[in-house]
Amino acid sequence: MRRWSSRIALGCVLFVLGFLVVVQLRSQAADQGLNGLSVQELTELVANLTTRNNQLREEIRTLDQQHDAVATAVERGDTSAVQIRADLNRVLGWSGRVGVTGTGIRVTVTGQIPGDALEQLLNELRNAGAEAIAIGPVRIVAGDVPNGPAGNVMVGGLPLETPVDIVAVGQPQTLAGSLTRAGGPIAQLGARFPEIIVTVTAEDLVSVPATDRTLAPVLGRPRL
Amino acid sequence: MATLAARVRAIPTWQVTLGVALLALGFLIAAQLASEGPRIRITSQERTPLVATALDLQAQQDGLKQQILDTRAAIGALEAAGQGGTTVASDLNGQLQDARIAAGLAALTGPGLVIQLSDSSAPVAQGDDERDYLVSGHDVLAVVEELWLAGAEGVAVNNERVTVATAIVDIGGSVLANSAYVAPPYQVSAIGPPDMLERLTASPGFVDFIRARAQTFGIGVDYATPEAVDLPAYAGSVNLRYGRPATSPASSAAP
Repeated sequence: MRRWSSRIALGCVLFVLGFLVVVQLRSQAADQGLNGLSVQELTELVANLTTRNNQLREEIRTLDQQHDAVATAVERGDTSAVQIRADLNRVLGWSGRVGVTGTGIRVTVTGQIPGDALEQLLNELRNAGAEAIAIGPVRIVAGDVPNGPAGNVMVGGLPLETPVDIVAVGQPQTLAGSLTRAGGPIAQLGARFPEIIVTVTAEDLVSVPATDRTLAPVLGRPRL
Repeated sequence: MATLAARVRAIPTWQVTLGVALLALGFLIAAQLASEGPRIRITSQERTPLVATALDLQAQQDGLKQQILDTRAAIGALEAAGQGGTTVASDLNGQLQDARIAAGLAALTGPGLVIQLSDSSAPVAQGDDERDYLVSGHDVLAVVEELWLAGAEGVAVNNERVTVATAIVDIGGSVLANSAYVAPPYQVSAIGPPDMLERLTASPGFVDFIRARAQTFGIGVDYATPEAVDLPAYAGSVNLRYGRPATSPASSAAP
């Protein structure tokens, strides 16, 4: 009788042990990043994901309409040149190969700013949904990085002129609010470089030029 | 002494096994509680549903992105089929394909390198902020920028293609790229020239980054130069809602 009870006790302990091993391994495999976030940070993350998902749904609606239009044209035996041209224009405008005009903001930076601080402003504008950005005459496209110490910054192969003139196309209030919010990039910039003055102006109509860079990859090939 | 040895030998085997099992059990319970520590500090009733919501939204996002890629491919196939044999349509379609590749809307493969950034395993020094020992969005952005400056022609962070519209930001201890949550360790992949690694490691900005993050806080920076680096296609929106493309030289613009 005593041997049976000892075996049962041992079995129970080993069962609990196995269970805990599994729980421990699974909890370690679970997403450590999310586990470390506070409620406020999680709320911010959820808001970001929701916004992005809504943008993706809007893109899907646009693509579905485009698909239907092309399919109808093909069924009628028409060429789809009109649709292709519209699609091409959209992609070229978005990527920077043609200029873009629309509502937006103008940011003027007076004082000597280093390249990395300027990149922080650009990153914030992108995060706020800027559709096209230019610094002076240079359209900022993928691969353009303001680089160099204050007073010697290069952008798109050109020396940065002061005062720095940044133009961004997008929703003016969102773009301006993102830059000027408490603790935001302009506040951080002010703390780091007190001599720098940044002004942000919402505008009904701003224009950004096309890039003169060739964006086509030379070494990379499309992967099917 | 002999008495003690005799008493030890007299202990039944099952008791020894049970003792070892209980020891392991205690260790595991302690480990589990320790791993729960940081969460317990910030736990509230809202937290669990928020984590579940975030994971659910991320899963939805993956599905939406795949849907976008599939629909774009279907449109491309239709446009190719609907050229009607005209030179204009055929030329336009060729330009469109090139523009999509140049914009990052097509997956790319080519020579290059992959840099992996991982959280530090060094103990947090007294007085330091423990977040300095974790890879931040700022770190990822710094490496992306250095890769561009070293000649990269395409870059991705984990499974997110870096494009003209990509922002890389921090929310607490997590990093968002293209507003998508990317989990550590962060792999920054770049297609570029064969000497990209040499250019990168010679860059003053990258040297500063290594000194400030890897040498000071132990942030892991590992390199790999596989035969081919694969970059995913950008699966986000390319709509211009507030801007219009300039009246088009589209049919003559080279990508």
